[in-house]
Amino acid sequence: MSTTVLTSSRTRRRTGATLRTSRRRPRHTGAFVVLCLFSAALLVPVVWTVSTSLKPAGAVFSSGLSLWPTNATLDAYRSIFSSVPFARYVFNSAVVTLAIVGFNVLFDSCAAYAFAKLRFRGSSLMFGALLLTLMIPMQVNLIPLYRMMVWAHNQVPVLGADTLSGIIAPSMVQVFGIFLMRQFFASIPDSLIEAARLDGAGEFAILRKIVLPVARPGIATLAIFTFLGAWNNFLWPLIVSASDASRTLPVGLAALANKNTVNWPETMAGAVVTALPMVIIFLILQRQFIEGMTAGSVKDVA
Amino acid sequence: MILTVIFFFVPMVLSLVWSFTKYNGIAGPTWVGAANYTYLAQAPAFRNAVWNTVVFAAVTMVIGPALGLGAALLLNTGARAQGLFRSIFFLPVTLSLVVVGTMWKVLLAPNGLINQALAAVGINGPSWLEDPSTALLSVSFASIWAGFGFEAVIFLAALQNIPRELYEAAALDGAGRSETFRAVTLPALRPTLVFVYVVGIIGALQVYDQMFVMTRGGPLKSTTTIVYFLMDRFQRFDLGTASAAAYVLVVMLALLSAVQLRLSRRYV
Repeated sequence: MSTTVLTSSRTRRRTGATLRTSRRRPRHTGAFVVLCLFSAALLVPVVWTVSTSLKPAGAVFSSGLSLWPTNATLDAYRSIFSSVPFARYVFNSAVVTLAIVGFNVLFDSCAAYAFAKLRFRGSSLMFGALLLTLMIPMQVNLIPLYRMMVWAHNQVPVLGADTLSGIIAPSMVQVFGIFLMRQFFASIPDSLIEAARLDGAGEFAILRKIVLPVARPGIATLAIFTFLGAWNNFLWPLIVSASDASRTLPVGLAALANKNTVNWPETMAGAVVTALPMVIIFLILQRQFIEGMTAGSVKDVA
Repeated sequence: MILTVIFFFVPMVLSLVWSFTKYNGIAGPTWVGAANYTYLAQAPAFRNAVWNTVVFAAVTMVIGPALGLGAALLLNTGARAQGLFRSIFFLPVTLSLVVVGTMWKVLLAPNGLINQALAAVGINGPSWLEDPSTALLSVSFASIWAGFGFEAVIFLAALQNIPRELYEAAALDGAGRSETFRAVTLPALRPTLVFVYVVGIIGALQVYDQMFVMTRGGPLKSTTTIVYFLMDRFQRFDLGTASAAAYVLVVMLALLSAVQLRLSRRYV
C-alpha cells in the first residue's frame, strides 16, 4: 500500500510541477523572492559556522560581521584532531551507527514479518504490548537501563557501561521500525507465500526470495530513519560513556562546547565534523529522506 | 521480542518500582510509598521545570508549525526551484541537536554574530543565554530553526495531496484566496495538523539536548526542563525522585495521546 502511495505522490508531484511551471510561472515571482530571502536567512548560521571554523583562533572578534574568513586556515581542525580525540569520536559514531542500522534492518524486519504473516499464540497480545511501548518516553527507562549496563559491565568488561556495545544494545530493535516494516509485509498477498510454501520453500527462503525484494523501499526508509536517529542520538550515549574511549561525536562535541568558551573556531570545527557526514548523506539521498519522513507521517495518521 | 522485553519492559517496571522508593544506586531501594510524588507535587524546583517545559512547548509549537505551513504554502505556489528550497528548509532537521545548540550558543554569545549585527544597526543586544529573561526564548528560537523544516515538508506533502478539482470548484464558485484557504485547504490539512502538533508536543516535552549544550539548565534554572531535572537528580544519585519525575512525564504524554485519539476520531 505504502509503495503505491509513494510512487503515485511522486508522479503527481512531477506532473503537477510541469503544469504549474508552464501555466503560472510569471505570477509567482513574489513567492520566489520571499523563498530566496527566507532561505538565505536560514543558511546564515550554517555559513557562519563553517567560516568561523576556518578562522585563526584570535581573529574571530576582529573580523566583525564578515561571513567569509579573510585568512582561512585549517588550524582548528588540526587541533581538534590532535588535542581532542575527535578521530576516536568519529570512529565510535561510525561503529555505533552502522551496528544499530544493521541490527534494526535485521531484527525489525524479522519481527515485522512474524507479526504480518505468521500466526502464533499470543501474537495479538504481544503486538498490543509493543503498541504500549510507543506511548512511553525513553527517559523512563534510562536509569534502570544504566544500572543494567553497569551490572553487565561488571560481569563481562567488554559489555555494558562505558563501552560501544552498551551504547548499541538498547537500540538494536525499535518498535517504530517493526510497525513500518509490518506495513510493507502486509501488502504481500498471502497466496504468493502459500504457493512458495507448497513448493517446499522454508520460512527463511520465503523471506529472502519473495518478501525482501518487495520490502526494499521500506528497508531503505527504515535504514535512513535509524541512521539519522543513531548518528544524532545524545542522551543515552551521554549517560553510558564515561571516557573518551566510548564517546560518540555529539557527546564529544557537547563536552568541547561546554569546556571551550573562548576558542570558537575549535568549537565550530567540532560542529562541522559532527554534522558533515549526515549532511553529505542527506544531500545524496534528499528525496529518500524527505519521502521517508512524509511516508512515516502519513502512515501514523492512518 | 526478547530484546524488547530486556531493554524495555524490565526497565519500565524497575523504574516504576523505584519511583516509590528511596534509592541511591548503592544502598538498596527502601520503600517510601508515594513520598517521591508528594515531594514533586510541592517542590518549587520541579514546578519550575514543568513550567519551563510547557513554555518551551508552547513557544515552539505556536511558531514552528506556523512557519512550516507558511513555507509549505509558498513552496506549493509552484515558484521555481521548489526542490532546492525544500532541501534547504529540511537541512537543519538532519543536524544533531548538539550541533544546533553549539552553533546557536556561539551565534547568541554576547559578542556573537547576532549581537554584532544588532550593533551594526545601533542596537545593544542582550546577553541572550546569560539573562534569565531571554535564555528560554533563545533556546526555543534555535529549536524552531532546527525543526520547522520537518513541519514544512509534511505540510507540503499534504498540500500536494489535495485534489486540484477542489480548487477548480472553489474558483468556479467565485471564492477568493482567503475563502479558498479556509474552505478547502484548512479542512484538508486537519489530520496533518493533528499529527504535526501531537508529534511536536511529545518531542518538545522531552527537550534536553539543547539545554545541556546551550545553557546547562541555567541561568537561575530558567531553562531547566523536566528531563533536565530528571537527569540532574539521576546524576546526584537520587534515583527514586528521578524515576518519579519520569513517570510524571509519562502521565503528561498519556493525557496528550488520549487527546490525540479524541481529535483524530473526530477529524480524520
